[in-house]
Amino acid sequence: MIEHLAPQVFNGLVLGAFYAIVGIGLSLIMNLTGTINMAHGSFMTLAGYLAFTMVSRGTSFWFALVAAPLIAVIVGIVVERTLVRPLYKREPFYSLLMTFGLSLMAEEIYRLIWGANGVPFSPPPGLAGAASLGFMSFPKFRIFIVIVLVVAMVALALFLTRTRFGLRLRAAVQDTEMIAALGTNTQVLYAVNFGLGIFLAGIAGVLAAGMLGLAPTSGNALLMPAFVTVIIGGMGSLFGSIVGGLLIGMAISLTTLWIPAASEVSMYVLMALVLLVRPRGLFGEEGIFG
Amino acid sequence: MSELLAVEGLCTNYGKIRILRDVSLRVGEGECVALLGLNGAGKTTTMRSILGLTPPRAGTVRYAGQTITGWPAYKVARLGVGYVPEGRRMFKDLSTLENLQLAENGRGGSWTIARVFEHLPKLAELRSRKSGRLSGGEQEMLAIGRALVANPRLILVDEPSQGLAPLIVEEVYHILGELKKSGVAILLVEQNALLALKMAERAYVLDSGSVVHEGPAAELAGDRDRIRSLMGMDVAPAN
Repeated sequence: MIEHLAPQVFNGLVLGAFYAIVGIGLSLIMNLTGTINMAHGSFMTLAGYLAFTMVSRGTSFWFALVAAPLIAVIVGIVVERTLVRPLYKREPFYSLLMTFGLSLMAEEIYRLIWGANGVPFSPPPGLAGAASLGFMSFPKFRIFIVIVLVVAMVALALFLTRTRFGLRLRAAVQDTEMIAALGTNTQVLYAVNFGLGIFLAGIAGVLAAGMLGLAPTSGNALLMPAFVTVIIGGMGSLFGSIVGGLLIGMAISLTTLWIPAASEVSMYVLMALVLLVRPRGLFGEEGIFG
Repeated sequence: MSELLAVEGLCTNYGKIRILRDVSLRVGEGECVALLGLNGAGKTTTMRSILGLTPPRAGTVRYAGQTITGWPAYKVARLGVGYVPEGRRMFKDLSTLENLQLAENGRGGSWTIARVFEHLPKLAELRSRKSGRLSGGEQEMLAIGRALVANPRLILVDEPSQGLAPLIVEEVYHILGELKKSGVAILLVEQNALLALKMAERAYVLDSGSVVHEGPAAELAGDRDRIRSLMGMDVAPAN
């Protein structure tokens, strides 16, 4: 039993880390501007494809792991400044529709450029193969993924709690008007915050491409679990997203072991159970859209 | 006295509803000016229009010789206009110290967080407590301290006595008095007219979005019938 269970638990952890990082990005954007970014998955896919193109032209994987997300950030900030920003004063519904439309367009654009079929994107040789953990062996690349995602989350936490900019972001989530009256240009906060969310999605996108393969729809496939992550963890709570992501990752992974057919539905069951007990999610706060 | 703030013919709407009609007022360098009126008279809206939080439809705002009408709030703030809003508006999940750090803007000047703590030792004690867990009086002090850290030449103070016990109100006004002595100009909105008039040099009374009276504060303070007729209410004795 243990030889089946242990790898599945670890797979659950890997999956959970993905959901968490994408969920955190969604939360960052949602908390500050009330924007439900339906195009989040598209930015993941974009970073994945960019990394694929770079690596297939001889660039090192390590360079692509940083450069591809950064290019996605630039695209993201341009989109935020030109298309999303004018909608901030309206109800969240408008930006949801706008970003949903963008995600549909992006999918078709990726199809045009990189083809409708999946492209192979394998991790660098050093991360190929399996590592022995004593009681089981596990793909090195997946271990690497967990490490990178954990480092990214810790870095984000330090940025938010230890830097002046992070302090302003946390304050702006509570009262954007007052932070402006204290001399902070909130438009810069919005743009950087959006970029930050996209950067996390971009890193996840490159890593996911190496693990799950790459197709025009890859990112969007991770988007729904990421939303469920945010709902389970509680809107407004970044820590909640981490817990939510891990819970879903485990739920999906373990259901696969026993009832493979129900693996997809397990996260929704989990969400329903959590919402029955805690309608605002595990760590949810009041009045995010208030 | 040289002029610091000059508001001319300000008209401001919320949606289609006109809140301010042709409001003009002046605040001199280092002067304290009271802005009085009933609830809904347009006092807060006047402040918000000056600060750029609710851009006016018409009229001009001049500050330190510059026309700043319709500027974004952060630019107005960086010119040295501080704001102590009604209800304090703390960042309640942030600590006392963090609330003060937010206002640091590198403008330079004699006010630093250390100096605020020196003047308001209570805040120093509570530096790591979340501001949402401070009492109303402590929050008011923090709101004033937060405005000071930015080294303002002018601060707009909205209803500083609201919801505070008389003893605390006295303390808050003591601090405002010290501020005034240090040369900071104050535009003071207050429901408690006599309290504000004691501190101010001049006063404006707003009614339904228009200025209905303007003159020396002492003169108005001494004429309770006048206050009563202007503000349509009975005046409580100052505490």
